[in-house]
Amino acid sequence: MTGQLRERCRRLLQDGAVQVVIGYGVSTSDGMPHPIFVRRPDDVDKLIWNEQCMANLTTYLTRDAVKALGKPAIVVKGCDARALVVLEQECQIDRSAMHVIGMACAGVGSPRAPKCASCDVHVPAAADEVIGEAPAQTGPADPPYAELEEFLQKSPAERFAYWREEAARCIRCYACREVCPTCYCPRCIVDKNRPACLDTSATVKANFAWHVTRAFHQAGRCTGCGECTRVCPVGINMRLLNQSLARAADEHFGYRAGTNRETPPIIGAYGLEDKESFIR
Amino acid sequence: MSELIAQEALPGLVAKWLAQGKRVAGPSVVKPGYCLYVELKSSAQLALEGFIRPRNSIKEFVFPHHEAICRYHFSGHTVETEDCDPPQVDQVIVGARPCDAAALPILDHLFTWDYEDKFYTERRKATTVVTLACQAHDDACFCTSLDLGPAAEQGSDVLLLAVPGGYEVRCLTDKGRALFAGETRTVEQTAVVPPGPPVMVAPGTIMAFLQARYDDPMWADLALRCLGCGACAYTCPTCHCFDIVDEGTAAGGCRVKNWDCCQFAMFTQHASGHNPRSGQSQRQRQRIQHKFRIYPEKFGVMLCTGCGNCARNCPVGLGVLSTLKETAGSAPVEVGV
Amino acid sequence: MSEDFEPKIVAFVCNWCTYLAADLAGTNRLEYPPNVRILRLPCTGRVDFNLIIKALEMGADAVVVSGCHPGDCHYTAGNYHARRRWILFRELLETMGIETNRIFFSWISAAESKKWQHMITEITDQIREMGPYTAYHEISEATA
Ligand code: SF4
Ligand code: SF4
Ligand code: SF4
Ligand code: SF4
Ligand code: FES
Repeated sequence: MTGQLRERCRRLLQDGAVQVVIGYGVSTSDGMPHPIFVRRPDDVDKLIWNEQCMANLTTYLTRDAVKALGKPAIVVKGCDARALVVLEQECQIDRSAMHVIGMACAGVGSPRAPKCASCDVHVPAAADEVIGEAPAQTGPADPPYAELEEFLQKSPAERFAYWREEAARCIRCYACREVCPTCYCPRCIVDKNRPACLDTSATVKANFAWHVTRAFHQAGRCTGCGECTRVCPVGINMRLLNQSLARAADEHFGYRAGTNRETPPIIGAYGLEDKESFIR
Repeated sequence: MSELIAQEALPGLVAKWLAQGKRVAGPSVVKPGYCLYVELKSSAQLALEGFIRPRNSIKEFVFPHHEAICRYHFSGHTVETEDCDPPQVDQVIVGARPCDAAALPILDHLFTWDYEDKFYTERRKATTVVTLACQAHDDACFCTSLDLGPAAEQGSDVLLLAVPGGYEVRCLTDKGRALFAGETRTVEQTAVVPPGPPVMVAPGTIMAFLQARYDDPMWADLALRCLGCGACAYTCPTCHCFDIVDEGTAAGGCRVKNWDCCQFAMFTQHASGHNPRSGQSQRQRQRIQHKFRIYPEKFGVMLCTGCGNCARNCPVGLGVLSTLKETAGSAPVEVGV
Repeated sequence: MSEDFEPKIVAFVCNWCTYLAADLAGTNRLEYPPNVRILRLPCTGRVDFNLIIKALEMGADAVVVSGCHPGDCHYTAGNYHARRRWILFRELLETMGIETNRIFFSWISAAESKKWQHMITEITDQIREMGPYTAYHEISEATA
C-alpha cells in the first residue's frame, strides 16, 4: 500500500492537483511514522503507511501554517475521516478544496489501539479515493462503549476517587487539546485571562474543571479517534469521558459524530421532545 | 573495594526515611506503561527497573507546577497581601536518573542569577538526590552527546550502581553520606558502568550553527508538524519557564507561579495583542536556540541533559535530538561549550 | 449529620421567569430557607456548565438551575438548548462520579412563586439530610 500511496501522491503533486501531501513519514529518532508534509514529487518516497500510523492528521487542516502551503492531499484512516465530517459541518474546512486519500485499515498500534476493537469504518467513508482492500478477517466489532460500561460498574464514590487520582497527575501540557482535530479554537477558554474563567494551576480542583471542560466542549463532536488519550504523557484515560458523552449522544439523540454530514450537530440544534424527566 | 547496600535493604531504608517524616519521591508505575516520579506513600510504590526512565522529571520536586507565592484580600479600597513562605520540606529523591539529577546544577544558574528564587533554592537545599545509574538506554537517549552518561554524578548526592544482589553506594556529598551512614557494608567487588548511547551530536558545532542560521527557512519546515503543546517542556528536566498569575474571586485570592511553555501561542502574547513569536516556527527556533545557544552563552552550560523525554512525549515525534540531527548534522566533533 | 450544618445552595436563574418567581415569593412573603444564593442570568441558555463547577469549587453543597418553561423562553429557544446540554452534561458528571443528586434543574414561571418556595424548601431539607458535599470541597482545597 505504501508503494501505491507514493505513486498516487507523486501524480497529484506532479499534476499540480495538490500543493502538499499531509501524510506519515518515518522519523529518524524513533523509527515510528509521524506527520510529514511533502511538497515536491521527488520527496514522496518519504511517505509510508503501516500499522503504526497512529496520528490523526486532520488536526493540521485548521492550522494557518499548513493552510498557507496550498491545497492539500491528506492521508486518513476510517476513524480519522470522521473528523472531516465534523470540521465540514462546523464550517472549518472546505471539503472540496482538498483531496482525501483513505487508507483501508485493519487496526493500528501494538498492542492494538482500544478504538480498533469496535471499529466499523475499516474502509474510510467519503474519501476521494481509497487505497487498499477491506481487511478480510476482521470479526464483528465489539460493542462501542464496552470500556465505559465496565467502568460504570464502580460506585459513584469509586469513580470520583478514580478521577481524583487521574486529575492529580495532569500537568496541563494541553497535548490532548492540541492533538485533537475538533479542538481548534484559536484561543481556548482556559487561555482566556482577562478575566480568567478556568484556573491554569495544576491543582486537583482546576484539573477537574479542565477535564470537565475539555470533555464537554467535545460533546457530540468527539469522533473517538483516541488521540488525546494516546498522547497524554501521564496516561489520563480521557477516552472514558469522551465515551460517556458519545454514548449519551447516541442513546438520547441517535447521533454519532462524524458519521453523517446531513444531520445537524446535536449541540447546535434542539428537539421539542428532548427528555426532561430529570427537570422539575 | 566499595560500599554495598543489599537489594532487599533499599526498600527498608526508604521506609525508614518515610518514618522519619521525610518526603520521599521516586519512580513508580502508576498504570501499565506509565512510570512517573511521584511522591511515595510507601516503599512498595518504588520501581527501580523495567523501564528506561520515567516520563516526567524530578524538577517538579524543586520547581513544582504550581506554587502559591502570595495571598491577597480586598477590604474596602485596600488590598492586604501576605507573602507565602518558601516551603521547608526535608526530601529525598530516590532512583533519580543521572540525566535528571544533572539538570539541577544547570537550573541553579537560572534560579540564583539576578534574583534568588527562594522557592527553588530552599527546596533545593532541603533535597537529597539518590541517583541510580542507568542499565539501559533507548533511541531517544543522548546523554553522552552532552558530556554526561549512565553514571554521571552531576547533581547527585549519592550514586547507586546495580551489582549482583544489591547496589554499590557512592556517596558524593555530606548530605548523601548522612543518608547512608551505617546502612552499607564494604565489599570487594565494584560495579561495572554500563555503556551509554553512542555520541550522536556535537553541541559545540551546534552553537556555531545556531548563531549562523537564526533566520534559516528550515525552522518553518521543522515546525510544521509541531502542535504547540507543552508535552516536551513539561517533561523536560531543564525547562523552567513559569507564569505568574492571580487566581481568586472578588474577595481575594492567591498569586501563583505556574509552569509555562515557550511552545504555547500565548507564551509571548502581549497585553496589546501583539505577539513577537506569532508562529510555531519562531517558537521551535526559540526552544532550540535557548537550550543550545542562549543559555550556554549566558551560563556556560547547555540547557539539556540528553534525557530524551521531549522525543518520547512528543505526540508527533519531534524532540530536540531529531532537530539537532536535522540541523547540525550528526558528525560527532568535540563536545563542550 | 451535624446539627448546625446549613446547606449552601447556589441557584442560577433566568431573568425572565424564575428570578421573577423568586421576587414574587418575596413580595408575597412566602417563607423559604435562606440557604439559597440567587444568581440572575439572562436565560438558562447562558448557564455555562462551568458555572455549575465553579459553584461546587466555591463550596456549594447543591446547585439549582432554573428558567422559563419550554415554549416560554424570552429568547425562544434558550431553554431548549440548555435542556439538551444538561442531558449530556449529567452523563459526564455521572462518569466522573460527581453527585448529580445535588444538581437540580427546573422550569419555574414568573407566576410560580409557590413552586419556587416548595422546591427550595425541599432541596434544602434534602441536602441537610445528605450533608455537605465534602468530596468536592476536599478536591477544591487540595493543592496537589
Ligand atoms: S495531555 Fe494529559 S497531562 Fe497534558 S493536559 Fe491533557 S490530560 Fe493533562
Ligand atoms: S476528544 Fe480525543 S478522541 Fe475525541 S476527537 Fe478529540 S482527540 Fe479524538
Ligand atoms: S531538551 Fe529534551 S533531551 Fe534535553 S533535557 Fe529537555 S527533555 Fe531531555
Ligand atoms: S515539539 Fe512536540 S511536544 Fe513539543 S510543543 Fe511541539 S508537538 Fe508538543
Ligand atoms: S429566558 Fe428564561 S430560559 Fe431563556
